[in-house]
Amino acid sequence: MSGDDMHDDPLNRLKGATPDPRADAKRRALAAGMAAFEASQKKSSSAAQGNDWGQRLTSIINSWKGKSIMDMRLPIGTAVIALLVLPLGYQLYSTTSMTPTDVAVQQPVQFEPPATEVAASEERAQSTVANTTPATVPKTVAAGRDQDLAAAPPEPAPMDDAMMDTEMAREAAPVVGGNSGIVAPQQAQSMAPAGALAESEAFYMPSPAPVPSVMLQPTAPSGDTFTSFDEQRLKAVADEPVSTFSIDVDTASYSYVRRQLEDGYVPEPDAVRIEELINYFPYDYPAAQSAAVPFKPTMAVYPTPWNPKTQLLQIGIKGYVPDAGEDKPSNLVFLIDTSGSMDEPDKLPLLKRAFGLLVDQLSANDTVSIVVYAGSAGVVLEPTMATEKARILGALDQLAAGGSTAGAAGIELAYRLAEQARVEGGTNRVILATDGDFNVGIDDPDDLESFIEAKRDSGTTLSVLGFGRGNLDDATMQALAQHGNGNASYISSFREAQKVLVEEIGGTLDMIAKDVKIQIEFNPAVISEYRLIGYKTRALNREDFNNDAVDAGDIGAGHTVTAIYEITPVGSGAEMIEPLRYGLESATGSGDEIAFLRMRYKLPESDVSQLIEQKVTPDLVYGDIGEVSDDMRFAAAVAAFGQKLKGSNYGSAMGWDDIEALARSGKGSDESGYRSEFIQLVDAASLLKPDTGTDPCGVSASGEGCE
Amino acid sequence: MTRALVVRAQHGDAEAFAELIEDHYDLIHRTAWKWCGNRADAEDIAQDVCVKLGGAIASFDGRSVFSSWVYRITLNAVRDMQRAGKRRGKYADAYAEVTPEDQPAEQEAAMTSRQLWAAVRALPEKQRDAVLLVHAEELSHAAAAEIMGIKEATVSFHVHEARKTLRGLL
Repeated sequence: MSGDDMHDDPLNRLKGATPDPRADAKRRALAAGMAAFEASQKKSSSAAQGNDWGQRLTSIINSWKGKSIMDMRLPIGTAVIALLVLPLGYQLYSTTSMTPTDVAVQQPVQFEPPATEVAASEERAQSTVANTTPATVPKTVAAGRDQDLAAAPPEPAPMDDAMMDTEMAREAAPVVGGNSGIVAPQQAQSMAPAGALAESEAFYMPSPAPVPSVMLQPTAPSGDTFTSFDEQRLKAVADEPVSTFSIDVDTASYSYVRRQLEDGYVPEPDAVRIEELINYFPYDYPAAQSAAVPFKPTMAVYPTPWNPKTQLLQIGIKGYVPDAGEDKPSNLVFLIDTSGSMDEPDKLPLLKRAFGLLVDQLSANDTVSIVVYAGSAGVVLEPTMATEKARILGALDQLAAGGSTAGAAGIELAYRLAEQARVEGGTNRVILATDGDFNVGIDDPDDLESFIEAKRDSGTTLSVLGFGRGNLDDATMQALAQHGNGNASYISSFREAQKVLVEEIGGTLDMIAKDVKIQIEFNPAVISEYRLIGYKTRALNREDFNNDAVDAGDIGAGHTVTAIYEITPVGSGAEMIEPLRYGLESATGSGDEIAFLRMRYKLPESDVSQLIEQKVTPDLVYGDIGEVSDDMRFAAAVAAFGQKLKGSNYGSAMGWDDIEALARSGKGSDESGYRSEFIQLVDAASLLKPDTGTDPCGVSASGEGCE
Repeated sequence: MTRALVVRAQHGDAEAFAELIEDHYDLIHRTAWKWCGNRADAEDIAQDVCVKLGGAIASFDGRSVFSSWVYRITLNAVRDMQRAGKRRGKYADAYAEVTPEDQPAEQEAAMTSRQLWAAVRALPEKQRDAVLLVHAEELSHAAAAEIMGIKEATVSFHVHEARKTLRGLL
């Protein structure tokens, strides 16, 4: 610094820390940087045609002409240094703790000694460890144990030891090699990836005998984020006779799970929301007759396929389907993410075709506008009559992903256009399409949600379509769509786009009832315990049911919603919860009714809820699962599949074969082919996560559900 | 090490480049934050810079220190964005009515007065860059000169001018 710095220079107050960058912003930025880097690499390698130096080939000598030492882009000295540094750098890189964990994880897997040798190498390891590096090893073991515990809490103690031992064997292997000079770096290297190591072994160890190679990578390598949640617990009717939840017509979870399984990964447990799996499939429940009472419940009680002593209570609802002649006007604003990460075949290009499909469904009284954010920002298409398809498709076609994320007021702009083209008595909706970048202009999630809520209350709703994988922010997607009274869907393929935007377009756009809540009260004289399958993220408090201010799920035209309870009849012997010794004599329920169903909903234009009530009586009970409708059997199979895939505490004992057989028996005519596809998915899952027999979650690396 | 990474990245090694930007992200973000004073802009700029680095790493000529080069790109990104921001003024207003102005970081508020930061950010570009590089980033005048692509004496001059402008506040 030069002389003008004084002792207490006020400008020195400018020193100081700034807040740390947020991890997800950093991750995004790095990913965008990598994408740009790779793009430029591609460009430069394709540009290399003809002349390596990127110059016009004039003469061999010419390329040196006119370059003074000062101007040389790559001075010879640098080139020489590069030649020296490159191998040296690689050497350092591959032998020190600089080695990234993924490299380290693969190595141990290759070196995995055959089962029979484990004992031997263990012994060797322990003796060498004791002899040569007594000071460092205990530390490693301690770290290893911590990691093991963290990675596989439910594992019994002996297994823990086995893992530790192999871990030790591996640590010690280089020591056995003899060269004590390299002990330190090796030690450091194996310390660093210990977590990953332990994790890879958590599912490796239970069956040291040959293991199919697919099992080496069963969890998704994704950067996708999901809201984590626990399963619905079993509840005693005596303690909590009433169960309340909001309906959910989203299907994003199923599309995501299907994609993961098809690609050979077991989806992470939090990605599996059983209710969304069940609701993905169309069921043929009788529809309501009029728009005034837009749906009616269909119920049945039948034996549980995975537990002979309990029963399933299934509640199905199908939304009213307006006559084809009724064409409500819609005003749609596509809010499209064009950040660099969207530049993949299954993102922006798929999105364009998907919206093309949607535009084809619209008619003369519909309008479409397009706003983009991130990368390029602003209005791409002012509100345009849907009949001007050429213009709309042209505008869609011009969208290009690229560049960085400009924090433009994307969402604000989209809502402004929606206001501008507002239609009364029709659908006003913003459809947000993204792969996970939600920096739509409001970066605080709470602000964003309350903004969306405010707009929802003034009549503009929001749907979210998720694309791609690796960056998908499922949690935010769900939250936004729920606050915006819209749906969240995951578009994994053109076929899925067709399902969501063509076949179910009515349900997607035409809301027939909002804030639909379901409350079941069980009769303690008949039912002792119950458990709602799925809907954990949709649970409501008992008092929320009659409170019209509490938001809940919405149902579109023709949507079907299915909820399944597993119920334990009194005296069946399947009770898991000990009855209270000093509890009240609780058999106060009236008669032989099983339960009582209450549903509340609001008509789209109304703020006052309506009530539907229905008894669950013994005449709804079927003695054999073969007697219920195909739909019911199929839904039960999907529920069993979801529970098993999640590694749930409940129902995991049912084998994949049984699930598949049950699904087959419930396949019905399956005109759309979704059910056949599901059956194939069960097959795929059975390969990725084979039945183990004894330990329901032994092979799963993701054993969270098995505490 | 950085030098080796740069060379490898220039030869198309994606891992090296990943490491490189991972290492420098904090510097970029911190700089962007100091220059703009809010998280949203800082993150946008940081991402922008990462993208630019991806495209431009091949053309980094090694004549300056890599971090200086990163500084230079970051400052350019700040400038570009602020110029674009003026053009986008009408959207920015609508934006502001939706999101209240980002809270300045607590540490920052504790360390120094908001007015000083605001005043420094409002300085003419060259003066602002010089002041922030020298006083906020605590670089030498020589390093600041390299980043700004001007002579060392000129940096001193800009700092001096800035002091004059800020005299009322200091």
